[in-house]
Amino acid sequence: MQRRCTTPLMKSLRRFSSNSSTDKLVASVLFERLPIVVPKIDPVVYAFQEFSFRWKQQYRREYPDEFYKKYEARGKGDYKIDYKPASRITEADKTNDKRSLERALDRRLYLLLHGTTYGSPDGKPVWHFPEKVYENEETLRKCAESALQSVLGDLSNTYFVGNAPMGHMNVQPTEKADPLKRFFFKSQVIAAKNYNISGCDDFVWVTKDELLEYFPEQAEFLKQMIIS
Amino acid sequence: MFRVSAFKRLTSSDTSIGKLSHQLQQQCSVSRTAKGKGKVKAAQTLKRSKAAPKKGGDTGGGRKTGLAVELEEMAKKCLNAPTPIRFLKPKERAREAEREKLGLVSKERQREMDALKKQAKEGTGFEKPSTMGTPGLDLISLGLVDADAIPKYELTVEDGRRLAKEYSRVLMRRHRARQKAETTLLRLKKEAIEALPEPLKAAALVPDLAPFPPNRYMATLTPPIEGYIDKIREAAERSSVKEKLR
Repeated sequence: MQRRCTTPLMKSLRRFSSNSSTDKLVASVLFERLPIVVPKIDPVVYAFQEFSFRWKQQYRREYPDEFYKKYEARGKGDYKIDYKPASRITEADKTNDKRSLERALDRRLYLLLHGTTYGSPDGKPVWHFPEKVYENEETLRKCAESALQSVLGDLSNTYFVGNAPMGHMNVQPTEKADPLKRFFFKSQVIAAKNYNISGCDDFVWVTKDELLEYFPEQAEFLKQMIIS
Repeated sequence: MFRVSAFKRLTSSDTSIGKLSHQLQQQCSVSRTAKGKGKVKAAQTLKRSKAAPKKGGDTGGGRKTGLAVELEEMAKKCLNAPTPIRFLKPKERAREAEREKLGLVSKERQREMDALKKQAKEGTGFEKPSTMGTPGLDLISLGLVDADAIPKYELTVEDGRRLAKEYSRVLMRRHRARQKAETTLLRLKKEAIEALPEPLKAAALVPDLAPFPPNRYMATLTPPIEGYIDKIREAAERSSVKEKLR
């Protein structure tokens, strides 16, 4: 895939500028929501923890019951509220509502948009990451930020991780168009339950497995770039 | 200042601070904490230990009420509490066996034999999976672990070794997969930076030292409940108002 860049490289050598100056660069954003709930525990791991707990419990002293009653009776000044823990499987899970952020709470969710983009073949609406073609901004990260801003409205609840891209892809959309280089930038959801997604007809929040379904030909690359 | 701070801390019952109480000089009388008194008695020499319980302690002796006596007895019971299975080294076990042949049985040995007899009659009670941690919030009922997928085991050394081996295998496999994934991530990042044109590459190589956002959510056992923090705040205000009225 890298070999396609050598002809523009030969051209640019005469002009002393860097490689791929004729290539178009596209900054796209991998917008992820980190897991809200601790992941499931392997039963083998739990079995060992239980075994070790019980084994050590055999050698611990058994205090008389009055001790525990005294211990409980101490906190009289505290308030007592009934606490019922919220379930880990939310309603969005049961209805499989892909647009809500509450879906798979123990996995990461990634944002996907549906619409026309620069790299889509023949201008048909397609599923893609939020992206923007690089014009003369200072850094590619700023370009990515403006891409996300055009989708979300404002960036107050996002966090871009680092100045460098996390992966790149060379895309040849159609024979007549220029080859594109797509750079992915990582950004995370901070403290927000739902977003106002605009600028496209549809959006989904998907887990990694579902993401691989949306992009069948780039599945290998995405599997390497995204853990879990 | 040292002594004053020691006095202030003696009002809370804490074993390590209790030890401090007899290393420093006790100028003020000890408040009614059983652990403090118990430690003082144990520090005295053996000759006096028989006389002291009869007198009821010398420091602040006049202040002893029924409550203090109760607390003391409970503390003594806790300190000498038995364990379900006794931990004995092989030499000690050999000594116990010889004493049994002679006919002398210690109290603890007697207790052990009674417990064994009871167990032989009733069965071990290890069949149902015992819950670890507070009843509502333990891992099984929260859905973190499937109760039926847990392998069955007895509380023996061999089973323990087998479980430990499987545990180690699972965790090491996961660790290696994670390391591999992280190396791949780093490699992809480096390749992406290499593929950037010159001015952008220099900008991308600048390390981003801005601090992480402080309100980044950390994964917890259960998802957050809306409006719960207001409930807590209200309740805390209510209870704190009561304290001020004292």
